[in-house]
Amino acid sequence: MNTLKVLLRSRSNNNLIFRTATTKKKIHDPKEEELLPIFQYPVSKSSDRRVYVWGLAETGLELLLKGLHTHKKKSFFFQVTQIACGYGFTVAAIKTNEQHKVFGTGINTDSQIGYHAPRIGHPLEMLLSPAPIYVPYKSLENKVIGVAAGRAHTLILTDNEGVYSLGNNAYGQCGRKINNAEEYRGSMHSHHISKLGKEQVIDICAGQDHSLFVTESGKVYSCGWGADGQTGLGNFDNQGPPAAVKGDITSEKIIKVASTVDCVLALNDKGEIFGWGNSEYGQIPMSSKQQQVNMSYALVNFTKGLGKIVDIAAGGSFCLICNDQGDVFVWGFGLLGLGPNVHHTANPKQIPPTLFGRNEFNSECMVQKVSCGIGHLAAITNNGDLYTWGRNRHGCLGLGHDKDQHFPLKVSIGAHVLNVSCSVDHTVAICKPFM
Amino acid sequence: MISKLQLSLAIIKPHTVKNPVALTYIRNVLKNKFVVIKTKRLFLDKSTAANFYIEHKDKFFFNRLVTFMSSGYIDLHVLGHKNAIHLWRKMLGPTKVYKAQFEDPYSLRGMFGLSDTRNVAHGSDSLTSAEREIKFFFPEFSFYEWHSSNEELYRKGPIIFNKHLFQHVRKL
Repeated sequence: MNTLKVLLRSRSNNNLIFRTATTKKKIHDPKEEELLPIFQYPVSKSSDRRVYVWGLAETGLELLLKGLHTHKKKSFFFQVTQIACGYGFTVAAIKTNEQHKVFGTGINTDSQIGYHAPRIGHPLEMLLSPAPIYVPYKSLENKVIGVAAGRAHTLILTDNEGVYSLGNNAYGQCGRKINNAEEYRGSMHSHHISKLGKEQVIDICAGQDHSLFVTESGKVYSCGWGADGQTGLGNFDNQGPPAAVKGDITSEKIIKVASTVDCVLALNDKGEIFGWGNSEYGQIPMSSKQQQVNMSYALVNFTKGLGKIVDIAAGGSFCLICNDQGDVFVWGFGLLGLGPNVHHTANPKQIPPTLFGRNEFNSECMVQKVSCGIGHLAAITNNGDLYTWGRNRHGCLGLGHDKDQHFPLKVSIGAHVLNVSCSVDHTVAICKPFM
Repeated sequence: MISKLQLSLAIIKPHTVKNPVALTYIRNVLKNKFVVIKTKRLFLDKSTAANFYIEHKDKFFFNRLVTFMSSGYIDLHVLGHKNAIHLWRKMLGPTKVYKAQFEDPYSLRGMFGLSDTRNVAHGSDSLTSAEREIKFFFPEFSFYEWHSSNEELYRKGPIIFNKHLFQHVRKL
């Protein structure tokens, strides 16, 4: 019993000594604290970028075959600045002063990602890992400020030298004269468009088989397949060298064009939209119910009351826009994100903002960017969250399953998403990592 | 009564010929589900394509279809099966790709189609059109001779698949 008492007393004494000692130390010697080692988690720099890809892996997203609906980090050791998805291939531009500024991976049957032949005379039709694309730049100082990819062609936009195009030119989508006897497999040809109408090109966009260019003063030029009127030149013919789009946009300053398949949307500096091309599902609703619109048509009345529009995207059978309040509107046919029972809407319908994370506790949440593939849709909020919905072909939504998604759902990416590019059956996102 | 083999024409459209993944998938379906009697790869010019699709001459998509079909190589396959015409069209799925994704998502068009024109492949829709289309692309092919002398071989064998010709041939 005595021993126990002694033990207790000694313990309480110990505690007392310990406590006084610690408090004393804190107050007493701040310099010593500074000398102590601190463990710091690595924090990413603001310039760090990470690229995530998901979807059909067989067409060369990764070395892995059939790695469907899983996030895979692409191991670029460079700073990726631009990305674009084509039909079964992906291109990415990096920040460098060297010759190889653009890398490509995937299907290469039309030399859309350059000439790659491990043996002379046997060009590769499929690249399973990113390979550099040779483009004959005049100066290595210029930067790649945009890439765009269609069904079988690639456009590369530089800051000083204009646009370079590679790949299939069967409809004139590379911006040069059409040669019916041309063989595209194993072609080393790239075409250079320095200026259009004596102006620099500031933005590019590639549909499946046509190309669109926006110049400094806001003019739009187009080339390629015009059978649906997607070139907007007032006819339904193929167009080789780029020509200025006719119709309602000629007096406007266009800042962005969007097209994935055969329908085109254009946005001007006042936040109004224009459209042309395929309208079989009511994407460009004209009073005459035309299914093929071959000149640009103002959709100002159609989108009245939606506020200032800041971003646009056109899918295969639907259109998607977002305004400066961060609201998202959709119209057309398909899986629109308005639930499983709505397959068609003739007028713009808002997708409830709560689905993009706006609620009482997070009232500042706004959608800032939208993007469309052929059957799937994506939106990025100001918090850097990516939401996807639509047709989940080969797991291109990145939601961990391959069922179709009827309303927007957040993709679990451990990074701040900056930009997303959607294609037929895969998606690429460029992000700023947290760590 | 033993039912005889029916013939149908399959045309693999330019965008699918250029996609190795889709082409391999479709070729596997063709060689395992059908007897492949003739195969040819062709680059159509515009006037031939317009002649082939003459029945759609007044439709709004005629120009679109013709310019698309003459934009690259197409693969032609003469297929034999007891129910070739119906089976091949059923595998293809609905003509409109954007509707196929709801009606039959795992048909060939639902899986590999891009738009209503870029809809993977063509299939004959009736016995008379199959005969017309096969005659159009294979003028040397004689239906009478085939039905009278070769049909039994392809139905009963012995036949073997020649992967270089992409055709079934008599096993020697």
